[in-house]
Amino acid sequence: MNNAITIANVRKKYRQKKMLVSVLTHLFMISLSMIFLVPILWMFSTAIKSRWDIFLWPPEFFPKVWQWVNFRDVFTRVPMLRFIGNTFFIIVIKTIGELLAVPLIAYGFARLRFPGKNALFMLVISTMMIPLQTKLIPLYSMYVRIGLIDTYWPLILPAFSGTPFFIFLLIQYMKTMPRDLDDAAKIDGLGTFGILYRILLPLCIPALTIIVTYTFLWTWNEFLQPLIYLNTYEKFTIQMGLEMFKGIWSVEWNLLMAATLATMAPVLIMYFFAQKRLIGGIASVGMKG
Amino acid sequence: MKKDTMKLALVLALMVCLVGSLFAAGQKEGAVAAAPKEVVTLEWWTWDSEEYDEASQRAMVKEFEKTHPYIKINMVLLPTKGFETKMTTALGAGVGGPDVAFFSVASWYPKALVLDDLIARDKFDIGMYYKGFWDTKTQFNGKTIGLPLGVGSSLVMFNKDLFDAAGVAYPTNSWTTTEYLEIAKKVANPAKKIWGAEILTRPFRAIWYNYGPNARLYSPDSKTVEGYLNSPESLAAYEWFYDLMRSGATPTVSDMSTLSTENTGPIDLFMANRLAMATLNQGHMLNAVKAGKNFGVVREPGVGDNPRHVNAWSLLVGIWEGTQHPEEAWTFLKWYVGPEGQKFLMDNANLFPSIDAVGKQYKDADKDYVKAFLEILNDTQVAIWRGAHPSGTKVEASITDLWDKIKLGLITKAQIKAELDALVPKAQSVLDEAKKTLIY
Amino acid sequence: MVQKHVKRSPAAIKEALCGYISISPWLVGFIILTFIPILSTIYYSFTRWTIMDAPVWIGLENYIRMFTKEPLFYQAVRATSLYVAMSLPVIIVFGVLLSLLLNMKIKGMNFYRTLFYIPAVISGVSIAMLWTWLLQPDVGIVNTLLSYLGIQGPKWFWDPKWALPSVASMSLWKVGGSAVIYLAGLQNIPPQLYEAARIDGAGKLRIFFRITIPLLTPTLFFQLIIQMIEAFKVFTEAYVITKGGPLKATYFYLLYFYEEGFQHFNTGYASALILFLVVIIMLMTAAVNYTSKHWVYYEGEGKSK
Repeated sequence: MNNAITIANVRKKYRQKKMLVSVLTHLFMISLSMIFLVPILWMFSTAIKSRWDIFLWPPEFFPKVWQWVNFRDVFTRVPMLRFIGNTFFIIVIKTIGELLAVPLIAYGFARLRFPGKNALFMLVISTMMIPLQTKLIPLYSMYVRIGLIDTYWPLILPAFSGTPFFIFLLIQYMKTMPRDLDDAAKIDGLGTFGILYRILLPLCIPALTIIVTYTFLWTWNEFLQPLIYLNTYEKFTIQMGLEMFKGIWSVEWNLLMAATLATMAPVLIMYFFAQKRLIGGIASVGMKG
Repeated sequence: MKKDTMKLALVLALMVCLVGSLFAAGQKEGAVAAAPKEVVTLEWWTWDSEEYDEASQRAMVKEFEKTHPYIKINMVLLPTKGFETKMTTALGAGVGGPDVAFFSVASWYPKALVLDDLIARDKFDIGMYYKGFWDTKTQFNGKTIGLPLGVGSSLVMFNKDLFDAAGVAYPTNSWTTTEYLEIAKKVANPAKKIWGAEILTRPFRAIWYNYGPNARLYSPDSKTVEGYLNSPESLAAYEWFYDLMRSGATPTVSDMSTLSTENTGPIDLFMANRLAMATLNQGHMLNAVKAGKNFGVVREPGVGDNPRHVNAWSLLVGIWEGTQHPEEAWTFLKWYVGPEGQKFLMDNANLFPSIDAVGKQYKDADKDYVKAFLEILNDTQVAIWRGAHPSGTKVEASITDLWDKIKLGLITKAQIKAELDALVPKAQSVLDEAKKTLIY
Repeated sequence: MVQKHVKRSPAAIKEALCGYISISPWLVGFIILTFIPILSTIYYSFTRWTIMDAPVWIGLENYIRMFTKEPLFYQAVRATSLYVAMSLPVIIVFGVLLSLLLNMKIKGMNFYRTLFYIPAVISGVSIAMLWTWLLQPDVGIVNTLLSYLGIQGPKWFWDPKWALPSVASMSLWKVGGSAVIYLAGLQNIPPQLYEAARIDGAGKLRIFFRITIPLLTPTLFFQLIIQMIEAFKVFTEAYVITKGGPLKATYFYLLYFYEEGFQHFNTGYASALILFLVVIIMLMTAAVNYTSKHWVYYEGEGKSK
């Protein structure tokens, strides 16, 4: 009887301890996320103020009158929905391009032996450090000459040759995969590219998820290139739309913040699902390894 | 094995197809656009502002196309902050530039089409423009490179409510920098975070010129720094700024820079009733009118009986030298920046025209702020020295540390002279280097 | 490459061929979109060019000027090196710590992960505006909170001593953006290894240093290079908030480059500036790459054997 009580006690204590740890963890996570959340609240409070009330003293975290109309104005003042649609179109095509090109290129670097590989790999990395500004003028003049200005081509084409960041990422990822996999596949009669598409690629899904996420995010936030290459208002992208709230003599901070918040949602939703996929992908890797 | 090689081939083929098909689609569009030969399409790069918003500019294009059926205007509306980058890129590339655009940066001038022959041929009346603007803003190397659109100037806006609350008399056009300081102190109420005057963002603006002809960065011929940057007049202006910074009447340095992240000046602080006096411009003034602010307008303070200066401008609209349609571009330009276009933008938006005859019909001409603004324009204009050559801004950048030191209170008033003297050789060497790329 | 003079076996030739085929999309893109533009940059670096005029050949003058006549150059190099030295280690360490947190198996983790990702989503000016407000010395949230603790907060962006750390903490805030990459790396570690270690009676710390870290090294190597390049390219914060000040404390190299190239129109000189930066980063990358043999563990390379 005594024994039974002790066991029950231990179990109870264990459960209590687990509860406590769990509560503490959540408390910690919540307070940590406040660091990331407070600024968003501040953005929100700016977004619902009237134009000139942002700099009042004493500062009002929440204004007396919530000006929800700002969120509507964002979409009426500038054809924001259209810009979002355009950006989505670019993202989809770019993602296809990256997913086609990057695994192939990374595979070459990670698994195949050929002369000059190391030098070329250094080139892949080096191209990441060249600021876009240095290339703007030559690229612009090239795209004008082949008649691609005011089309989405200059924005999309580079994706089909793989972004160095992604290539590097996938090389690193592939390198961690056991060579035994390749050898086994070879014995099964798979060719060089068969190994890539049959064996390695399914295992790379987490890395591919990262590629999709980042392509989405970067294209979403891209301003300089659409600005340079696009002329027609109806073809503009989301960031150009946001820039429209900055006048030459003053910035409409409330609308800018409302627009930033409103357009942030799709990216976060996308990320929410993407990182779930990340987990799914890993589980399968675990099984196979 | 074969299967997979085929798969790879398929992937590569798919990529080629995708790229190819999209290419073809793009080409087709281009072909359609290029087909009609009689109608010429012009590309016009612009932005929207308080003075001419998007809608009024689109309406203006329609108006123009009505009377000019053979010219179609493709209005490229750009974000203001991106305009410079895009324009510099296109002009630098030498291809793909606009037919008509704002030439708002002096470094672009060499790429603007010279208009003198066209003006002479058409007997285009340049006398209708305010002479001061015509002489200073449209000429480059003795040639006319564009037409001046609208007028603008910096001016001091003051918040009448704050002045009334503090029981301080309104400033007048004859005021001096000393009075400016005193008024700022009187009207400020630090406990309520209400400030008298803003911190200037940079030296060598109208107030410096008011201190005397030598209070500038370097000589008018852009050759010598000695005797200008460190002249007694320049020193006096710096000392005045020093006193302003120590007066306790200005917002904190951080408040100011928080507000100017987008280089729009202290408009937000002024509109929130926290800044009694602010050096702004006609665009800000229109905002204050729209928001129903109780404000007045005076020119920037002077020094004794010295001649008063004003930093006034007009936006240069030019034709890119690489245009395929100079004739049509000129037709559009002289309509747009001529009486028709400027009147249209004045009536349908808020442009202050650069044509005297048109300006007389301004809808709110009887309003005090309009009168005050137009009066300010009569002051002597500060020639924009930074436009002297492409590297001119660099000379100013080389001396910003002193500005920081005064703002942050890192030096005493007595040290300013020595600091200025020490900056002379530094600024001179920057100027010498910059002169190698002189375009004036 | 060692076997240059040795005759290759048909299999090796075939493998090399496959290698070239597989990297061909990148190679084509590289030549057209990067190599040719860079060639012109190299040419311009030997000229005096204002973009609007024809370039004038001046030989090495730009490079000589850069090293001998430009105090700003050294100020920019100094600010940038300090920034890299200050932010890089912190970003890496916090990145790992944060991803470890986000790798815990607790309820609602998807939600937390998304929250932490927020900073990466806001772009450009909104974020700059946000930070100037948060760190505003008199009324900003950060200093207000500090004052509750009885601490007089610094003037952040507006103090020459604090400006650089302030910019660095901005980049730290965005660390959640790269968490997804660490996460992928963490999750790629086979769970069996952990189990085996646990059965062997290894403690948590020991498991972390003996299993997690070694198996995370490919990811760390990736992050180290990426974050280093990013740190060298720091620009927006200084351009929007501090304008390089106060007293050039945040006058970063790319800001210098931008001002020379796009504001002062010394494009020839700016080309020389950027090439110097590219060479420096290339050397650093090569150095990191060289050391990687000693500390990066690839299962695929079978080093453990």
